[in-house]
Amino acid sequence: MDNQAFGKKPLQILEKIRENLERLNEKMEVMIELQKHTKKDTQMIPEAPLDVMTLLSMPDHLRKTAMTVCRLGRATAEEIAQQTHRARAVESAYLNQLVIMGYLKKERKGRKAYFFVDREGQG
Amino acid sequence: MALGKIIAVHSYKGGTGKTLLSLNLAATLVKRGKKVCLLDLDFRAPSLSIILKIEKAECWLNDYLNGTCGIEKVLINLSERFQNKGEFFVGLANPATEAIRDISAKDRKWEMRALGRLLALRNSLLNDRGFDYLIFDTSPGLQYSSINAIVGADLVIVATTLDRSDVDGTRRMLGELYELFEKKTEIVLNKALLDVSSKSKREEVQSKIQEMYNAPLLGVIPCFCDVLRAEGNIIFVHEKPEHPLTKILDEIADKIETMP
Repeated sequence: MDNQAFGKKPLQILEKIRENLERLNEKMEVMIELQKHTKKDTQMIPEAPLDVMTLLSMPDHLRKTAMTVCRLGRATAEEIAQQTHRARAVESAYLNQLVIMGYLKKERKGRKAYFFVDREGQG
Repeated sequence: MALGKIIAVHSYKGGTGKTLLSLNLAATLVKRGKKVCLLDLDFRAPSLSIILKIEKAECWLNDYLNGTCGIEKVLINLSERFQNKGEFFVGLANPATEAIRDISAKDRKWEMRALGRLLALRNSLLNDRGFDYLIFDTSPGLQYSSINAIVGADLVIVATTLDRSDVDGTRRMLGELYELFEKKTEIVLNKALLDVSSKSKREEVQSKIQEMYNAPLLGVIPCFCDVLRAEGNIIFVHEKPEHPLTKILDEIADKIETMP
């Protein structure tokens, strides 16, 4: 019994370190993706309508994310990632970029962030 | 979970047979016992109300997209008229000139909301009311209402003829429209003056068309003088069960029903 208790602590610490590393990794992926795609011409447009012509003119990687939000109505990055089969962190980066561009709205509920198209609120 | 399917019937040019195809496809599926809803999204040139001889509706699809009424007020039950195993509902576009003018002048924000309302039909009609198929008849070319319909659909059927400008435009849409939205797309070649009398001839035509468009071929409809002669007064699959067009529509419905 004592032996087991003794062995548990280092394991827990290692597990914690692993978790932290994973989280760090996710954040780095987001930063890399954002750097890849955020060009200088991406201006802040508050509340731009996400209509089909806008969807058509978007770069492919963002269109896929935006289309999935349109279909689901309201979703977390995790739910979007399940549909697009891309990493959650990548979707999170794209979603936040779409928010910056004014096409999506973001709302926090507890620990989760939901993304949606604000169809009724505009104009 | 066996949910229904949304089909958009679209084309590059006008007069390719979208309405003929969507109406007869809907009627074929109804004959098979399905619950089908056919929606006329061709707001620029509404035709379903005229073909079905319905002059007044409580609400039009225009009103639904405007947000002034619910979809249940738009749908007209034609099941009795068709007297088949299934159920047949239609939603009509308002054919009045001022309604066409009104919808042509909408802005991007309105179109975005209209897209939301169109997407909501999956829930309200397929999930809640148990429809097996929603069929969108659309305007030709790159129009807001048509692209909205395409975005909302699971399957896009593209009606095309062998007219050169139509072939060229259809090919461009395949690469620059449907593919960008990652839509499953199938071609229906209409008014074909090709010999499809034997199986080997049919296969030859099929591979030729598939190669031409680089897209799957759902069916070939030869040029039928009977269809022209009917002047839009006959729903062939309903009134002419032995007509070759009825048989072709049956084959098309077979393929659609077995699609994943």
